[in-house]
Amino acid sequence: MSKLRNIYKSLLTGILVFAAAVVFAQPDAWNRAYSLVRENPVLAAQIIDSVIVHPETKDSASSWTVRAFIYFELYKRNDQIADKRYRLHSPLRDTVVSSLKKSNKLHPDEIYAEYNRTLLVAISAHCFNTAKDLLQDSMNHQRSETAYNKFKEIKKTALPQHNFKQDDINYYLAVGSMYSEMFTKDQKNIKAKETAKVALMKVLELEPEHPSANINLGLMYYNEAANLSREMDYGADISQIDIVQENMIKLAKQAEPFVLKVYNRNNNNEKALIGLYYIYRMLNDVPKSDDFKAKLKQKGVEVDDENVPVEDNKGEKKEEPNHKNHK
Amino acid sequence: MCLISFRFQQPSNFDSNSKFRAAYLYSFTRYFYWPEEKQRDNFVIYVIGKNDNLISELKKLAAQKKVGNQGIEIKNSSAYDPSVVSHIIYFTPSQDGESVNEAAEKNKNKGTLVVSETNSFNGGASINFLIVDNKLKFDYSKTAAVKAGLKTSEGFKTLVNKTID
Repeated sequence: MSKLRNIYKSLLTGILVFAAAVVFAQPDAWNRAYSLVRENPVLAAQIIDSVIVHPETKDSASSWTVRAFIYFELYKRNDQIADKRYRLHSPLRDTVVSSLKKSNKLHPDEIYAEYNRTLLVAISAHCFNTAKDLLQDSMNHQRSETAYNKFKEIKKTALPQHNFKQDDINYYLAVGSMYSEMFTKDQKNIKAKETAKVALMKVLELEPEHPSANINLGLMYYNEAANLSREMDYGADISQIDIVQENMIKLAKQAEPFVLKVYNRNNNNEKALIGLYYIYRMLNDVPKSDDFKAKLKQKGVEVDDENVPVEDNKGEKKEEPNHKNHK
Repeated sequence: MCLISFRFQQPSNFDSNSKFRAAYLYSFTRYFYWPEEKQRDNFVIYVIGKNDNLISELKKLAAQKKVGNQGIEIKNSSAYDPSVVSHIIYFTPSQDGESVNEAAEKNKNKGTLVVSETNSFNGGASINFLIVDNKLKFDYSKTAAVKAGLKTSEGFKTLVNKTID
């Protein structure tokens, strides 16, 4: 933001020089607008609004850039009000953006084009932060996505060549991790489950081998499977136990390829090793779970509650040999 | 611009198959009838060998459930101890077949359900857990159950993976 402040300062200075040189426009209105920006941006806005409709200045790119900066000042002040932190729709911000777009259409010189770009990027960053804030509020995923799309739209206006792949990956990965965590904590939250899965699948569409997305998606299925058995009543009948097992195995098999993909690309990926150990343990595949357990042991990673003293029938404690290999 | 934080999912370390073993052991109490003299005091499930997760699950089960009016008690030792009076004996997979046969022999007509988990089920135990298509299932030996002095509900046969006699 300090870069923006410097640009803002030099912009104002530049505009003052520019304004002095302008012979065709309304010099009085220009000058009044500049000095008023800090003191009284509302009045400055009224003045600049008269400039952009005046026949002699309405087609000047600089008029629209100045308008954008004045409205940006208003937007910032308005945005600083704590309870509006999550504001998704901001007419002031929309005015800034539309003014900058208008300025760009009027073929600004290099300096003004750079000002426009800088301000658009700053505004897009605000939208990104709004998306981030809204994401942390679990009830507002859709609003967060709207803010994120706004960020992309504005940034694309500023930097048409910008590739959003990495932004998309980061954003949807964050959505996926946040909602998968919510689902893990509350397995009845189907909306969180679906949101997480859709987000992580979007990441995998962009980068099919993405390790974090694959791990999280795989472990989400695995945790869902584990929860099925955890929630099962101890008094379940044999046929019910069978159904729970069936569903659990289906989910564990869904989990396997995601985690395996990560492991196949990197045999040392600890999260993949741990995930596969648990998945194969769930699938009763003893050779494979033992294999991954051994690999983890080589890395000094412990995955089980082993070597707890065995209590014998007389209530004495017998220590088993300790095989723990602490990291 | 700050990146949005990413958090890795942590895999649950819950041992589902221990839960299934515990639930199966408890469900057997609905299909087998223990002699009257064993319908007093606690209902004892005796686990031979090491399986901490199973013991933990059985203890949770014991805190929640009863067999008829009997409370459930869990006992565990690393090797079979014939002096332990129990209703169900479960041999973990690490136990050899000889111990299973010995237990079955010593509990003949005593109303003790012997459950094993071995690839070479020979009918020493009444029930043997096994893995079929990733699932925990069990085979059943009626002959062994009769020898053990247990009566079995007719419907039980339809729920087993295989009856070996």
